Amino acid sequence: MAELPQKEQLALHEFSVRYRAALAKQHQTPEQSLDTVRDAVREQYEQEQDAKRSPSVEPPSPTKEREPDEPEP
Amino acid sequence: MDDLIKLVKTYRVTAGLAERIRLAEEIFRLIEPDLRVFVFSSVSHEAAKDALQEILKAVAISLKQFKGDTVKEFWAWCYRIARNKLNDHYRSKAADRMQPTPPEDLWQMMELSAQDAPMSPAVRHDLDYAIKLLTAAKPDCSDLLWRHYVIGLDYGEIAEERNLSYDNARMKIGRCLDEAKSLVS
Repeated sequence: MAELPQKEQLALHEFSVRYRAALAKQHQTPEQSLDTVRDAVREQYEQEQDAKRSPSVEPPSPTKEREPDEPEP
Repeated sequence: MDDLIKLVKTYRVTAGLAERIRLAEEIFRLIEPDLRVFVFSSVSHEAAKDALQEILKAVAISLKQFKGDTVKEFWAWCYRIARNKLNDHYRSKAADRMQPTPPEDLWQMMELSAQDAPMSPAVRHDLDYAIKLLTAAKPDCSDLLWRHYVIGLDYGEIAEERNLSYDNARMKIGRCLDEAKSLVS
């Protein structure tokens, strides 16, 4: 933004700061947002723990029967 | 902003749940306001509330997979997730896509901000000019100006978003600003 003429830069910056402040005032966050984040972190943590508890999930056997690929020409 | 990347890096190597939650709270207190501006500038305010929660969830779930080393990379990664989520949203609900905000609604936001930071006549004059710049141009230009100057996306992020080269994005924004200035004057 360095090449912006000063007048526009100042005006748009002032607008941006005030727009953010107004949005923050209108939608005072955070408890709902932080609840969402906490739940997501727990969910991800539990998935990791499940994966650790059952490390013996075997990758699909290469010899296992599978649907054929595209028919050979 | 260095604190942000330190927190993210610490989060990546933290094993315990309680500590992860504490770090995640700190990280999201820092990034939520900017993501909120991004989302509320992209979809209708009604739709934005749910979209923001979906985006926060997606970022939180993937946080351990973030591979970058800098704040810039981290923000690019966050905005990429946000864009993908919003694109999904657009596909399912085209009507929620943000329409250009009329000047009177922008003024309402400015008046709201004035409750905590009163406006001098000079500031009011500047804001009037900014609102005219942002609303005078054609919708595509107006959107570009908004994303760059209000949301704060840099040329690289806009280039990625629009599938343009960095220089093309920079020149396009410059042309849009010139167009807006000529329409306002």
